[in-house]
Amino acid sequence: MLNVKGNSSNRQTSATRSFFSPNLIAPFSRNALMAAKGSMEELLSAAVDAAKNAGEIIRFGFHETKHVEHKGVVDLVTETDKKCEEVIFDYLRSKYPGHKFIGEETTAACGITELTDEPTWIVDPLDGTTNFVHGFPFVCVSIGFTIGRIPTVGVIYNPIMDELFTAIRGKGAFLNGNPITASTQTELVKSLLATEAGTKRDKSTLDASTNRINSLLFKVRSLRMSGSCALNLCGVACGRLDMFYEVGFGGPWDVAAGAVIVTEAGGLVFDPSGKEFDLTSQRVAASNSLLKNAFVEALQHEE
Amino acid sequence: MSQYVFCALKSAFLPIPSPNQESRIKNQESRNKKQEKMPDKYSMEDFLAKAVDAAKIAGEVIKHGFYQTKQIEHKGEVDLVTETDKKCEDLIFYHLKQQFPEHKFVGEETTAACGATELTEEPTWIVDPLDGTTNFVHGFPFVCVSIGLTIGRIPTVGVVYNPIMDELFTAIRGKGAFLNGKAIKVSSQTELVKALLATEVGTKRDKATVDETTNRINSLLFKVRSVRMCGSCALNLCGIACGRLDLFYELGFGGPWDVAAGAVIVTEAGGLVFDPSGKDFDITSQRVAASNPLLKGAFIETLKQSE
Repeated sequence: MLNVKGNSSNRQTSATRSFFSPNLIAPFSRNALMAAKGSMEELLSAAVDAAKNAGEIIRFGFHETKHVEHKGVVDLVTETDKKCEEVIFDYLRSKYPGHKFIGEETTAACGITELTDEPTWIVDPLDGTTNFVHGFPFVCVSIGFTIGRIPTVGVIYNPIMDELFTAIRGKGAFLNGNPITASTQTELVKSLLATEAGTKRDKSTLDASTNRINSLLFKVRSLRMSGSCALNLCGVACGRLDMFYEVGFGGPWDVAAGAVIVTEAGGLVFDPSGKEFDLTSQRVAASNSLLKNAFVEALQHEE
Repeated sequence: MSQYVFCALKSAFLPIPSPNQESRIKNQESRNKKQEKMPDKYSMEDFLAKAVDAAKIAGEVIKHGFYQTKQIEHKGEVDLVTETDKKCEDLIFYHLKQQFPEHKFVGEETTAACGATELTEEPTWIVDPLDGTTNFVHGFPFVCVSIGLTIGRIPTVGVVYNPIMDELFTAIRGKGAFLNGKAIKVSSQTELVKALLATEVGTKRDKATVDETTNRINSLLFKVRSVRMCGSCALNLCGIACGRLDLFYELGFGGPWDVAAGAVIVTEAGGLVFDPSGKDFDITSQRVAASNPLLKGAFIETLKQSE
């Protein structure tokens, strides 16, 4: 179940609140919501088309020399990131001009857009830019769609490995059209954990990261670092990873799509402290439902 | 079990020659050794082709088992082995022994069953039938077959095949390195701070090892662009060879089967394989580092500082 900050964990109740509460939603938005409500499959289909268009661009550029800019010491962006965001936004705007859009590169250029209850597309046009620059095949397009701030549609597409993860709230999660479920692992010591080194390189952040990893290594089977937050969430959703956490990643675009996909695969998405997941907090943890408590406990131990 | 019995029987039934016979046998052995050092019966391309066939046969078994529930045994607390590992090793050995009966064979699972075989100058196939067993168990797609051939203890032919991602890395000493038939080479990165580093947490979980591992990673994170951990030593070496990784090191991995094939592939892609201390690479040491030639000096320096 997706525990989103400010909403109850009962899916039906929160959906009812979002769709029908006149106090929460302006008339214009209510029309958009009603229109959106009846066509989740159309929204998904549009997102998949947009992801595949961007995927072509990524695939084309993958083996070429990249012109790399730095948003931070190790936080990279390329022309491909920007072009993909443009292509995705143009396509989705043409279909849904009334919707809101939040993208990683637009945010970097123009500043943060507040996340409202309006139907909102939250896009990372290229998650795993470092991997893209180096030709390491864990890259993806991540397109999430929220209504009432709840992740409702999610599409994540790795065009190098040709893996398309999709989910609509209440309708299951899929990899290339085949249903996927989170793992059934119950024991921490037999679990495969994913995390990332992140892009901050100040001493206190790095020390906290590696201390946490040190502590967890005594408790889990092994550790993976693959360089894409969105693909890590998909890994939990399809059971190839048992647990994932990351703190201090870029923004809601890294998790909006993955959150739906994990939830629809029967997994849980939460704050690493064990509290409810907050899409804008730049903190995420995910696991199957059987491991959550032990995982949260293990994460608290060394803080 | 059958492997253990085979090893025991083999030792029990060697014939005892007469003195004249012994002298003739020694002369013949000496001639054979010279022949085996410079095998003119087969070409390197023959060795490669048969190794690729064997890798692909094992790859089919891996692919088939990848999405199934696995029966897992523990060689150590987090060091796993499955029926697929053992079956693949049997298949690879059978295939190569049919073609090259006079060659020597060193495999991860046979070694686990029968004990270490000394690496000699003889042509020796060094095989990891499934590198990345933890990944295989979890369905994480970084798994491979690794088949190396040493002659005179030098890695000479290398095949690493990931059947899930359908990536076949091959190399013959002196003849370049290839991914799915296309030539590959290491990255041209010159700066450590722009380099992508791979390493692994390994299978030892005693405090001293884990502390040393994470302290080292902490130290390196201040100096490199980022760190990747994907769970397969052989595929990390291939990552260096094709330029998707710039630096790799691992300490305390299982044995020569993890590196024998990858060492040729990196070298033939223009990269360097060395001991993390900067000394020469020793295939039996369970220590490896690899990078492009431009980064080696800075990499070794950084590894020393991180101790």
